[in-house]
Amino acid sequence: MKRLTPALLVLTLAACGAPTAQTVQSTSLTWAIETQPITLNPQLWAQNKVRLLVFNQFDALLSKAEDGTFRPWLAKAWQVSDDGLTYTLDLRDDVTFHDGTKFDAAAVKANLDQFLVPGYNPAVAAIQLKAFDRAEVVSPYRLKIMLKEPDGLFLDFLASPYAGQVSPKSLKSAKDLKFGGPDLVGTGPFILDRYVQGQELHYRRNPAYNWPPAGAAHQGPAHLSEITYRFLAEAAVRVGALTSGQVQVIEGVPATEVNLIKKDPNLALQASLNSGTAYSYYFNTSHAPFDDQRVREAFRQAVDVDAVLKSVYQGTATRAWSIVGKKSPFYDATLENTYGGDVAKANALLDEAGWKQRDAEGFRVKAGRRLTVREVASAPFVRDRRDILAQAIQAQVKQSAGIDFQVKIVDQGTAQKALDENEYELFGNSRGDSDVGAALNLILPAKGAINRTRFADPQVDKWLATASATSDQAERKELYAKVQQAAVREKAIVFPLYVPADQIAAHKSVQGLGFDPSSGTPASAYDVRIGT
Amino acid sequence: MIKRLATGLAVLWAAATASYVALLLAPGDTVDILVGDGADTPEIRAGIVAEWGLDRPQIVQYLAYLWRLLHGDLGRSYQQQRGVGEILATQLGPTAQLTLAAAATGVALAGVIAVVTAGRGRWLRGAASAAELVSVSVPPFLIGIVLLSVFSFTLGWFPVSGAQGPQALVLPALALGLPIAGVLGQVLRGGLERALEQPFAVTARARGLTERALVARHALRHALIPAVTLAGWFTGTLLGGAVITEVLFGRPGLGQVAMQAVTGRDMPVVMAVVLLSAVVYVIISTLLDLAYRVIDPRIRG
Repeated sequence: MKRLTPALLVLTLAACGAPTAQTVQSTSLTWAIETQPITLNPQLWAQNKVRLLVFNQFDALLSKAEDGTFRPWLAKAWQVSDDGLTYTLDLRDDVTFHDGTKFDAAAVKANLDQFLVPGYNPAVAAIQLKAFDRAEVVSPYRLKIMLKEPDGLFLDFLASPYAGQVSPKSLKSAKDLKFGGPDLVGTGPFILDRYVQGQELHYRRNPAYNWPPAGAAHQGPAHLSEITYRFLAEAAVRVGALTSGQVQVIEGVPATEVNLIKKDPNLALQASLNSGTAYSYYFNTSHAPFDDQRVREAFRQAVDVDAVLKSVYQGTATRAWSIVGKKSPFYDATLENTYGGDVAKANALLDEAGWKQRDAEGFRVKAGRRLTVREVASAPFVRDRRDILAQAIQAQVKQSAGIDFQVKIVDQGTAQKALDENEYELFGNSRGDSDVGAALNLILPAKGAINRTRFADPQVDKWLATASATSDQAERKELYAKVQQAAVREKAIVFPLYVPADQIAAHKSVQGLGFDPSSGTPASAYDVRIGT
Repeated sequence: MIKRLATGLAVLWAAATASYVALLLAPGDTVDILVGDGADTPEIRAGIVAEWGLDRPQIVQYLAYLWRLLHGDLGRSYQQQRGVGEILATQLGPTAQLTLAAAATGVALAGVIAVVTAGRGRWLRGAASAAELVSVSVPPFLIGIVLLSVFSFTLGWFPVSGAQGPQALVLPALALGLPIAGVLGQVLRGGLERALEQPFAVTARARGLTERALVARHALRHALIPAVTLAGWFTGTLLGGAVITEVLFGRPGLGQVAMQAVTGRDMPVVMAVVLLSAVVYVIISTLLDLAYRVIDPRIRG
């Protein structure tokens, strides 16, 4: 694999009249990605990994910085009324959709109203836009959004792919509204002109683009004139395509290939932790054995997380200590080193909880029942070798504490059935929400939509509700710290394992690659260029 | 011919019904699948039920499904929110290209190897046999990775993927065609060798026919019958192998659509792929019947 063509870059001079001081370069790039989009409609966006595609074609109203603050994008300025019920947005007046229509307040209203169409995106209507009442056009470039109740996460919505602005004309005329594609148009730096399912997506530069989000590395149109994203699902094939120069950038670099890429002088590797929650095991507290806090703690003590991560991810994974990922501004670092990896304590806790006897195979038993805990995982959502991670933990808890940890990877319907019927003791999950509060609201409240621990604590519910209603970041940080302390340390309902991360590997000639500051997933190609 | 058509339709109806029943019996209901791994609230569920008409009685939904099929409407994909017919239409071409190229590769390789090695020395036959065994027993996934590493990543003769131009078809067709060449080669050689021991071969040799002419004009025809019978298996291998080959090489096609649909429980797409496979089988078996008549005149009577 040594033969390296110095990137198959097409470098031609654009034929554009008399030579000026700066000649416009025509450059194209091929990037291999792992995941095929389920939809290219930003308002139905469902895969974090597809963020890089969404923001090529569409712009959101706001952008979000790594520290959690919001910055202008298509909205130049915004104001929130004192009661938190009215948001006034002042929009840029120089923005045009790819189909030539003008971007204005009426367009934003049409985009918001689209979510109210029954069946369009019921999940967003019920969660992110739960508080949305109506939008009102005040003047061509000023819009008022009225909420039914204060919602501290509303700005996060305005900065998410869901707020990617779609031309109202194309919302009506797109052949496949729900799938999106070339005829659903936005205002972004690239225009999608070809989609071949199973093979590739092709974008060309939007020459009129002049409205990047605050914080972008340059102004004006994108550097690349064309970009092709090839779908290569197999990691070894992506790496081979990169090292042989057939593609210039890949994402999703497997731990086993990291060293190969680091050693290659022609390649550069970048990694970034994702936002949202850490990949954690959630204990089902509604029945035995995890209704007993001692057993929950024992399970955590029985695992040497560092050793397991090292063997599965070869030192490339970041250990998690809280349900909240390390990248979030709400991460509570005081939880670090507060639990885990104490086998003697694990065994003492289990003895105390009454799991004293052992059966012929060495598993603990109580009243004739084996200490068995089951995990059901839905195959399409198993990534990052989480199946291997589970096997490593399975071996550890068996050996160090006599716990029978059974891992079942099944199809989505079977997994859902087990969850509905409460036929599981352990559930693994991570979420990539850019504001971790959104994830906590789904997982932790007694009535949370994915509360699979079946844990209920009025105090925690109250902290979460208060944190959601306020947009005071300091107050939210304090409240979420209390929530993390309760869930991780005091009640031990969660076992944080690692913080998911994204990787990009590229030829050194490719510059400007990076990660979306709010999500930690690869950023759009706007700032990417080929140069030295 | 009318009887054959009726049988074909019955097979299709059975395939449609079997896949529908399989969906019913599978754990978890459709709403769960449509909700996916995301937020799950009563409002979301109600919205989905209304949107997809899941509140109607099962038998009504089944009849509606058959009625739509009769009108050529394959329904809408849960995952992609597009018409299934449209998805299949755009993916049919690349898969047809791949499977035909793989079949041609497999048949050509098998034919050449069988004719060259049939009845020859033990050493040559042994080597061919071993190569055939390897190509059959090594998983297509591994064959694909090896072909890519050698001919694409190292030598740079062929592109890694895509469906642009004939060059991109070579490696996938080889990966998919090699196992077929392996099985077919063995069967063909066995058939040839048996045919060459038949009384007619002795007579022909006595008439002064050269060994090569004997193989080409007489023995091959006899050897073809068992090989043609294998064509059913052959089709299955191609359709199944296309899944892995297309995903591995990043090619568009039905295989990767099926793969995505099965892991995501996208039932309308899965059912359409099952139906399409049934159609292909019906067509192939009809063609086989015709082929037997051409190869062996005794069947014509």
